[in-house]
Amino acid sequence: MSENAIQAPGPSRNYSAFDAELTHQALNVRLFVRLLGWLKPYLITLFVSIAFVVMAALSQVLMPILTSVVIIDTILVPTTIASDAPDYGLLALVDWIQSTYALEALSAAGLVYVTVLVGQSLLSFAHQLTLYSCSLKALRDLRIDLFAALERKPASFFDHVGVGRVMTRVTNDVENLFQLLTGFGGLAGEFVPFFVALFAMLAISGSLTGVVLVALPVAAIATIAFRIAMRKIFRFIRDSVSALNQYMQEDLVGIDVVQLSGREKQNIEEYGTHNRANRGYEFRAINFEVLYDTFNMSLGSVVTGGIVWFGGGQVIQQDISLGSMILFTSLVQMMIMPIVSLGQQFNVLFRSMASGERIFQALDWDEQLHEPDEPTVMEGRLRGKVEFRHAHFGYYQGEEILKDVSFSIEPGEKLAIVGPTGSGKSTIIRLLVRFYDIDDNMVFVDDVDVNKIHSRDLRERVGVVLQDFHIFSGTVCDNITLNNPDITRERAEWAARSVNADGFIQELADGYDTQLAERGQNLSQGQRQLLAFARVLAADPEILVLDEATANIDTSTELVVQDAVAKLTEGRTSIVVAHRLQTIQECDRILVLHHGVVEELGTHDELIAKGGIYYTLHELQFQDADVAREVAREDEGSEGRTTDPRWVSTPEDPSDTPDRM
Amino acid sequence: MASIGGLLVARLFDAIVPLFMKTAIDSLADPDIEPTLLVPVLSILGIVATRFLIYVFSQRALRRLSISVSYDLRKRLFNHVQFQGAHFFNRFGTGDLMSRAVNDVSMVRMVVSFGAVTILTTVFTLITGLYFMIMLSPSLTFWVVLPLPLVGVAGFGMARALFPYYMDRQEAMAEVTAFTQENLNGIRTVQAMAQEEKEIDRFRDVSTHYAQTVYRVNRYQALMNVVMGFISTASTVIVIFYGGALVLRGEITLGTFMAFFSYLMMVAWPVRMIGMSITMFTAAAAGTERIFEILDYEPEVDDASTKTVTTELRGRIEFRNLVYSHPGAPRPTIDGATFNIEPGETIAFMGRVGSGKSTLLNAIVRLVDTPAGMVFLDGHDIHDFPLHQLRGAVTLVPQDPFLFSMTLRDNLTYDDLSRGDELIWEAAEAAAFADPLRRQLAEGLDTMVGERGVTLSGGQKQRATLTRGMVRDAKVLLLDDCFSSVDTETEERILRGLRRMRGGKTTMLISHRVSTARHADRIFVIDGGRFKESGTHQELIARGGYYADLAAVQSNQDEDRERKARLLRDLDSEISAEPMPEAAKL
Repeated sequence: MSENAIQAPGPSRNYSAFDAELTHQALNVRLFVRLLGWLKPYLITLFVSIAFVVMAALSQVLMPILTSVVIIDTILVPTTIASDAPDYGLLALVDWIQSTYALEALSAAGLVYVTVLVGQSLLSFAHQLTLYSCSLKALRDLRIDLFAALERKPASFFDHVGVGRVMTRVTNDVENLFQLLTGFGGLAGEFVPFFVALFAMLAISGSLTGVVLVALPVAAIATIAFRIAMRKIFRFIRDSVSALNQYMQEDLVGIDVVQLSGREKQNIEEYGTHNRANRGYEFRAINFEVLYDTFNMSLGSVVTGGIVWFGGGQVIQQDISLGSMILFTSLVQMMIMPIVSLGQQFNVLFRSMASGERIFQALDWDEQLHEPDEPTVMEGRLRGKVEFRHAHFGYYQGEEILKDVSFSIEPGEKLAIVGPTGSGKSTIIRLLVRFYDIDDNMVFVDDVDVNKIHSRDLRERVGVVLQDFHIFSGTVCDNITLNNPDITRERAEWAARSVNADGFIQELADGYDTQLAERGQNLSQGQRQLLAFARVLAADPEILVLDEATANIDTSTELVVQDAVAKLTEGRTSIVVAHRLQTIQECDRILVLHHGVVEELGTHDELIAKGGIYYTLHELQFQDADVAREVAREDEGSEGRTTDPRWVSTPEDPSDTPDRM
Repeated sequence: MASIGGLLVARLFDAIVPLFMKTAIDSLADPDIEPTLLVPVLSILGIVATRFLIYVFSQRALRRLSISVSYDLRKRLFNHVQFQGAHFFNRFGTGDLMSRAVNDVSMVRMVVSFGAVTILTTVFTLITGLYFMIMLSPSLTFWVVLPLPLVGVAGFGMARALFPYYMDRQEAMAEVTAFTQENLNGIRTVQAMAQEEKEIDRFRDVSTHYAQTVYRVNRYQALMNVVMGFISTASTVIVIFYGGALVLRGEITLGTFMAFFSYLMMVAWPVRMIGMSITMFTAAAAGTERIFEILDYEPEVDDASTKTVTTELRGRIEFRNLVYSHPGAPRPTIDGATFNIEPGETIAFMGRVGSGKSTLLNAIVRLVDTPAGMVFLDGHDIHDFPLHQLRGAVTLVPQDPFLFSMTLRDNLTYDDLSRGDELIWEAAEAAAFADPLRRQLAEGLDTMVGERGVTLSGGQKQRATLTRGMVRDAKVLLLDDCFSSVDTETEERILRGLRRMRGGKTTMLISHRVSTARHADRIFVIDGGRFKESGTHQELIARGGYYADLAAVQSNQDEDRERKARLLRDLDSEISAEPMPEAAKL
């Protein structure tokens, strides 16, 4: 913990950079090299895979050579021309088999053919398996590293960066890289034969090779032109599809509002606009696609025609053998295919480069909670003393949510924090468990600066019940233990019984083994809150912090909750951010926070007697509206303002948005 | 049709090319024949050019067709869904509907563009290929074709067997997505409970499992290629052995021998494709079924748009012995509701979660569709109103504050964008939303909401939706627990705003707070779908029932433990009460 902790977490960062359009650099070598870093543990597999693909490629070229040079030129139509076509020892091999096993030449050649073919299939099978194996493992590691990096980011990060957007990096972007790795692995399988075939062609006839080579730039230019034309359209299509889906999604989520507002017709109209735009781009795209596909198909045939014309001439002149000419027609496809595939890979390349950038950006985002170099180890159970000394804090630079907040809670004491929206109540809690980096010597637990305690250690000792109870999909029991192996099922059930949750859990279909959904729609607000209590009680923290939910639960449920709170806080230092005065009255002392300043601190009776803010609040919420009405009447004079101007809750603290905590 | 014909002609041309090659090769191989190169080469080029044109036009037409099909399906789905009611949305969740509109539609599109046409052309290719082969050499054809049925059967079988692997992979991917999403959404909880390292370990398992399933799919696909390759090769080998022997014996020419290689490619490929296509068709059939399941769903709220009630509406609401059960619920949600609400009255409904309050309000705007003859507006059955008229006269502000990702202005005047800012500000003032609008939302009414804009706090959202309801200035305003996320002081202001704006108009609201309900002209306490108590605040207090207990507990002045105990007695049944049916929350 040093001076860099002074820097507030949020302000200096440009979070929009996190979501901004990326460089769209087509080939970012640095990025590619970095990606290869994850392949390091699996390099041997990768090399084996490359070896396999080279061998498979060689045997792929052997087959047409076998057909034309051996079968046609030697066996079927014995040629008199001294062929320059390389046979890679195939002729000798066939001869050898023929003499050793006393076979006909044709049978011997057929046998070799079958062998080469089987070998080629097996080699490429092995190539694919090894390639998939190493790239899948590498990407699994990358994905875990990315997840771990996100999991450890401080709260300030998630305040600014939406979960949805970070999530696609873990899912889609990693998936795109898989396509990149396997795509390029496959490309190697096509380019090796390309060069082997080129070599064989040059050996036979330079001029005829020239005919084939003329086609290559044509294919390349067509491919490039096509990609350029498509690049923009692809982006339009992508954008229009996501606009289409987003519109529908939102319409479905808000369908009640749509129907109640009688907006159905207009929304159909608006959706239609998106839908038509999408169709338009798709139409444009297929014009190019069809043209390009057909062009590729035809190019091969045209080149074949050329070979027959020029090659045939050379055959007549007895410059080359007939087999050689036929060999040329077979090799043409091997020359054109890699270029077409390369063009297809460009798409993947663009996409995965952007994905890679996004992934590495998330990995490199160095926003971290500063952990102490030598964390203080707290021996045994804490006594439970909490102290704030002149604490200042703001989420943004220049903003002060807490201003010189000082108070201390004795072991076992219960403190209620009250105050209007945006006064900084929740912020106090967040600082206590170090969700944000703060300056040294501001917050103390058992007289130790929290900055000197490792955040994990601190959070195990300070249990927080957040306003919004997050249900993880899993059983009720899982949700109480949070998969912590240290918490046994007995302990979980005991905790649930202690906070009055046992009753409703028993009535669920499978009791503690009932599956809960993430949104927790099968539980009511009150039930969720009781589960949250059980969760924190099972963890048995030494200090308890409770951010009371404002949500609407009916009065009887509230009574059960109150009862549970009483049991939860028993014998524990507790801080309750209270919205209900019932809770407040159970507490030993009350802290009234306003605009980040401690305005009042004392027992209920003391504060009532003082007749200050707490008194006003108490009257408003509790008493019959006589007082409230009085307050209101005074108000009417001052144009909709309330009595005490301090109670106008402005500016609303963004920290009160539910997604912050 | 013409385009399909075009494709078939193009295929036929494809089949002729090897014949010209044969002519050329034969003329070169046989010294007795005068070499002819010009005719074959020109013919090949001619065919290529013709085929190019045909292909471009027919392919284009077919692909346009498939794009139009998906366009049309999406459009019909969206339009159809707009008019569905609560039952429908109970049955099909948002995620489900989205997946149908995205995945299933693209599946159908693939079949249209690829599947149907491919099968037609492959069969045609198969037939032409076979025809030319037989023409050249019937005996060779027989032997060559022999292994082909095996290719088809194996292709079909293996593609089917691949299916479960695909499913596993999809499920594993869904697991990765769900785990990540859930975990990051609950990151505060995970961190607060110091469970990060354990969660990372769990993610390692999930992620490894996914990698394994992907590996299995790919391994199987690679294996499939090998096996299919082997079987198809059998034919090639037969051409070499048997065909070669025929050439040596002089029964066929070298050109025929080479042509067989080409035709074999033409024939083997469709056989392989057919197996695959059948599998694809089964998947697509499932997708189509899923789309039509939606399209065939009759809207449960039928809109009597032919009639229009022309008289000026005053806002009188009447319930005549309404009995209503949510589908699948063991007992009626509303069990005999009969009451009258006069124009200009303000009514409060109180009761426990699941007691049927929301259902009552939803019934008036037909979000919950009750039988005819039970709910009346100004003496007319609500079924006699066209929906737009009914919902224009009666405005419901639902419990869940929902805002669209558009500007606040568009949100607040969602039903009628032509409203002026003055009206919006007036409503915002009454809903206590004017202050946050002025002070906290930098761009005021032009503030963008949602993903790409500002995230409003729960209280701000609630006040915004309240404003949206108020701005319509309807004869009847229904507020479904709209003050739950605002503090007491703001609630006071909103209640004052309501009084100011709703003079002479009917307002019905649901609340859990006595401090809210007490301002109403009459209060109804509902329990288990029945009216337990009704009357003014004073009357109900005097009566000493549930309402009085609530008032006592909430005002906390009552030290009488007995009352608290009375409320606590039902607690078990209370908290363990049936989870609210989805529709009741609407």
